[in-house]
Amino acid sequence: MSAASDPLFDGARLVITSGAGGVGKTTTAAALALESARSGRRTAVLTIDPARRLANALGLEAFHDHAQRVEGAGPLWAMMLDMRTTADAMVRRFSPDEAAARRILDNPYYGAFSTSLAGTQEYMAVEQVHALVRSGEYDLVVLDTPPAVHAIDFLTAPDRILGALDNRAVNWLYKPRDAGERGQPQGYGARLLGRGRQVVLKSLDRFTGGPFFEDLASFLQAFSALFEAFRQSSRAVQALLRADSTRFLVVTAPYPGTVREAIGFRAELVERGFPFAGFVCNRVHDARPAASLDALAAALGPHAPARLAEALATALADHNRMAARDADGLAALRQADARPVRVVPLMPEDVHDLEGLSRVGRALMQNFSSADTF
Amino acid sequence: MTVPLSAALFDRRFVLVTGKGGVGKSTVSALLAAQSGARGRRTLVCELNAQERIPAIFGRAPVGSVVTPLRENVWGVNIQPGPALEEYAEMKLKVRAVARLVFDNPFVQRFMQLVPGMNDLLMLGKAFNHERERDAQGRPLWDTVIVDAPATGHGVTFFRLPKVIRDHVPVGNMHEEARDMWALLTDPERTATHLVSLPEELPVQETRELARTLFGPEMGLPPGALWLNQVPTPLFDAAGEAQVREGAPPDATPALQAAFDVSQIRLGREAQARAYQAALEGLGLPLVALPLLYSRELGPAQLDALLAAARAQGVP
Repeated sequence: MSAASDPLFDGARLVITSGAGGVGKTTTAAALALESARSGRRTAVLTIDPARRLANALGLEAFHDHAQRVEGAGPLWAMMLDMRTTADAMVRRFSPDEAAARRILDNPYYGAFSTSLAGTQEYMAVEQVHALVRSGEYDLVVLDTPPAVHAIDFLTAPDRILGALDNRAVNWLYKPRDAGERGQPQGYGARLLGRGRQVVLKSLDRFTGGPFFEDLASFLQAFSALFEAFRQSSRAVQALLRADSTRFLVVTAPYPGTVREAIGFRAELVERGFPFAGFVCNRVHDARPAASLDALAAALGPHAPARLAEALATALADHNRMAARDADGLAALRQADARPVRVVPLMPEDVHDLEGLSRVGRALMQNFSSADTF
Repeated sequence: MTVPLSAALFDRRFVLVTGKGGVGKSTVSALLAAQSGARGRRTLVCELNAQERIPAIFGRAPVGSVVTPLRENVWGVNIQPGPALEEYAEMKLKVRAVARLVFDNPFVQRFMQLVPGMNDLLMLGKAFNHERERDAQGRPLWDTVIVDAPATGHGVTFFRLPKVIRDHVPVGNMHEEARDMWALLTDPERTATHLVSLPEELPVQETRELARTLFGPEMGLPPGALWLNQVPTPLFDAAGEAQVREGAPPDATPALQAAFDVSQIRLGREAQARAYQAALEGLGLPLVALPLLYSRELGPAQLDALLAAARAQGVP
């Protein structure tokens, strides 16, 4: 079955590979993008991981702030997220004028916070992917999600950022302390609230050494001028992530713990209304015919050394033991979701070139009939 | 070039284990804990807000945020940022009600979630406090505290955090904590940071970058060993290997054909592992190779098999 008619790509604008670290998300994203491009779609793949994994796999020396054409792979472009460039572009886009943009870009905290606030990586990733999709230059965009302890962080981070940029939160922390309570309702409840705020702020000072939170809040106040624009953009991004043309793949390996995490992540995706499109299971040992040592020795013939028969028997038994474990993992995935699991077999060597990506891509596309719909 | 393992490395009190996601940090943390416990040291192994893996390796149920025995001389805990923050706030702000007022405030919580690495710092701080715990006689409660650190990417930020805070927050509790924590992390008498890798392209590449960053001049953490996980043990002698590469005889039974096929995959992975192991030996760190066990489970029996393999390579 070719990529041209795979239901994963049919009607899709955005494919997202998600899941725990170390299960082959980046390779899967690159292999899918390659298959898509080879079937004639103009395809861009975006990776976030700063370790340049995808760069390796695609044979690119370095990434830039725009997608780079991959040679010899159909209409395929690859891009690594550059946090600072994406952040700067966002500030410019959302600022009412250049002066407002400069106030933020020149803020000494901006340099640190634009790239290191918790969740900014995730926020920038969805912003960048939104820009790629919106540009209309690509038929399909493939997004490789950042590594995280909890895969769901990728989807919750943008909301966390918006929550902290909310004017009420920023003003509450940032209002000058003495003036803060003046001009406010003077009822008993309001006075109590004001007192609480003083205690909280004083305690925070002792905790953080004073200026830390205020500096952060003053920076966020400058930033919050863009809040409305951010929120609108965020709504558009959330809409994109939930669109019918978006496909979330959960990538996993067949190991028991990893499978459990993948199944849990699928449940969270479905619960939150994201379009889950199936599991990808990498590094699967396929079951082979079993044979005893005697049977293998007999099949080898009387002239073969006994050591060879023993080693072959051990290799076959080891492989089939792993195949049984992997079959259990696949069965658990299939029980969790009715869609066929895309299975990539264990290969003699890791994938680090286009040829290897093609092998993975073919495996990902196999065993899919047009009856499997999303 | 191999670097010998020094036995003194395993007398350090504060042990950190890091590496790329999925390379087996939890396995190596569990192994170091089992090894330390077997040497008669009271050992605490900490996971940080993790999908708990370590108790299962000892054949135990998840332990949550309560310090729980795992085997003789070995205890485990999964440090959670929420309880860690509450505990810390109470310790510093003295009054529980005030601590609650501050940290239960929804606006404060939003900011706390946003501050770079706040959760990581809190959890590291909690592990750090375990190192400082003393009993009624003033003796350390733990001889060894092992921390299964976050995966790299996150990992380097995690290790750099105390230094960043020490240098950027001039005064106050946070500054003092960060200063003391950084002093511990960089103290070769007390601390060692172990790296875990797999004999595969991308983990090896990241391990090389990580070793340069963590142990280089900028950060200067005292290095532990490099643990290469899932190394396939050679199965064939030279003649057997040559025959496998030639392929199965033309009249082979299906099972014999299958045995040749899987043996070729295995030889490919063995050769790849050898090349990557050689590449990592150039890093100048003592290297311990843990065998790929071809086992369905990772439990106490496999842990002991890995421990035996480590001991055969000089781990005391």
